[in-house]
Amino acid sequence: MYDTPASLSRQQKQRRNRNQPGTVLAYTTVRHPPTGFGESPRQIALISLEDGTRVLGNMTTQEPLEIGQAVIPRMRLMRTNEQGLRTYDIAYEPVMPVRQAMQRHPGRYIVALTGPSGVGKTTINLLLSSGLSEYVQHVPILTTRTPKTGDADEYRHISMEEFTQRKKAGEIIAATAIPSRHEKRWYGYCRKDIEAIWKKGKIPTVVTEMHLLQDLAQYYGRRSIISCGLLPPGRSRRAMLSQLLHRLRKRGRDSEESIEDRIRNAESDLQFFEQRADLFDHLIVNEDLERATGIIKHSVLRLSAMTSNPIES
Amino acid sequence: MERDIFIIGSGQTPFGEWWDKGIRELADDAIEKALENAPCSAIDIDMVIVANMLAEHVSGQAHLGSMIASLLPHQPPAIRAEAACASGAVAMHTACSMLESGRARNILVVGVEKMTDADNSTITSALMGAADNDKDAPSGITFPGLFGLIASRYMHEYGLTREQLSCVSSLHHAQAMDNPNAQFRSPAMPDQVSASPLVADPLRLLDCSPISDGAAACILSTEHKSPLRLAASQITTDTTSITGRTNLTSFAATREAMEHALTEAAIERSDISTVELHDCFSIAAVISLEDLGFAEPGRGIELYQHPDPAFGINRSGGLKACGHPVGATGIKQVVEIGKQLLQSKKQWGLAQNFGGIGATCCIHIIENLSSTHSHV
Repeated sequence: MYDTPASLSRQQKQRRNRNQPGTVLAYTTVRHPPTGFGESPRQIALISLEDGTRVLGNMTTQEPLEIGQAVIPRMRLMRTNEQGLRTYDIAYEPVMPVRQAMQRHPGRYIVALTGPSGVGKTTINLLLSSGLSEYVQHVPILTTRTPKTGDADEYRHISMEEFTQRKKAGEIIAATAIPSRHEKRWYGYCRKDIEAIWKKGKIPTVVTEMHLLQDLAQYYGRRSIISCGLLPPGRSRRAMLSQLLHRLRKRGRDSEESIEDRIRNAESDLQFFEQRADLFDHLIVNEDLERATGIIKHSVLRLSAMTSNPIES
Repeated sequence: MERDIFIIGSGQTPFGEWWDKGIRELADDAIEKALENAPCSAIDIDMVIVANMLAEHVSGQAHLGSMIASLLPHQPPAIRAEAACASGAVAMHTACSMLESGRARNILVVGVEKMTDADNSTITSALMGAADNDKDAPSGITFPGLFGLIASRYMHEYGLTREQLSCVSSLHHAQAMDNPNAQFRSPAMPDQVSASPLVADPLRLLDCSPISDGAAACILSTEHKSPLRLAASQITTDTTSITGRTNLTSFAATREAMEHALTEAAIERSDISTVELHDCFSIAAVISLEDLGFAEPGRGIELYQHPDPAFGINRSGGLKACGHPVGATGIKQVVEIGKQLLQSKKQWGLAQNFGGIGATCCIHIIENLSSTHSHV
């Protein structure tokens, strides 16, 4: 393939046409991509777009696909040419078909709280589990990070080896590495923990961030997640970030360095709310703790009424 | 056909990895063999048509017409034909037109491809030239990838299983054992095919035709006669890009070329006793059998699971086991059909050669006038 700047620029003019949802007509995984496309296998699908045109597109995941599966467009870095020119193009992300999601755990739900560090996820979660303990139960987060004082009982600490091994075995169904300047910390959720709560007839609640939320939605189906995004008060992103900074300093759990890391991650978290509005059922501004908790309690009670029978197994 | 065109001489190099031979040497070997059994001499050749796809990419050589013509003592007029993997058959078709028009009377058609000089990724990229550079290539798809898409769709529509598909390459390998010109003269059991490494899901290494060097040549004539007559030569095209197709499990170009070819030869499909078809990937052989009308849609695999001894499919080993030096393949198929007809004393044989994902399809029907059924 010739990838001079001019030919790449001509290709990019076509990009807008590919920016549509569609369905998979056929798919393959190219095990040995051509020169310039890197070494790792690429999943490529022939997709019928909404306007009836057909395109070849890369998939954003290596997860098994199905013919007929719905996909949505996403911008991705495709490759870097010999001169170092980076080409971004539309790739397609599979949307878990409703049928498949419902089959996995029909009528079972997870309440997910997502938001930047310091927004009040843990506090709201504590209020939920104490106030509605007969309906909800908190799912512990598995983490490889070293325990420290001030940690609530929300974490279960395991070694890096154990984490990798359980992830490989398919027990950890949602995992993410949160960047920090000192160590690579892994966080994840274990399938058994979630399903054990369902068996008790309760609704699992999870405190997530963007990758964990996406993994959970991918595994259990988007419809199984009652997803609440928590935003700090503030009219602008800058105001929101300064509010977070204030809260993080006040809570006194983190070092100043760690707070800097958290604020940096918070920026991309806030962006995520805008980019992936489809992953949230409620976006709640946590200005008044009682009001925010109230909104979530309300959905929990409604869900409990719908799913009052524990799963027989 | 406006005139009777005869295949008066043919030959090929064994297909394989020819480290000590380049384009010139390979072509020279095939030409020598073709002239050996022809009723004319080199000097009688009044035109040369060369089929080749990759010489610029692999050997840095364009201008193959004059290069190959200079292998003959009198430097006859020469042109090159290129239509990706269908280059060979398109060169044959071009030769037919020249003979029919009367511009030439004895044409040497040479297909030659040198592939092993380039590394794998160069070859992979070069072969992608057979697809659409604007619509297909930017996704990072490869040719096995395009046929992987087709195979995944075919399996979805007709329920073809991995185990069934493995019968295709297995039969090709078994048949190549008897072909001294084949690249792989070793058996491949269906479970070996199923266990070979993945190339482009669901296609595995042993579903794919190899990278080969080789040449094939034949001399077509309206002046001299031979028992082998070209009864039909048809060419059709379809979209270069897979994104232009509405049907992934059938190639319209093959269906159309087949109808035209049967009409031109004035025969029925059932008169044909042997075919060499274009099995660049195992799934292509299954689809080709259906498009040629030898099997119902979705049932092409049955002819591989239960081969009919009276109906030859890729007796040479096909592209998979005999080898696939791209430009030579279409000519080798015709050479091979001629040989098979003379040996079996049967009357009709067919060669189907396509380029890209069936974007150019060329079909030749050959009649053996010395067969027991022939009235000439």
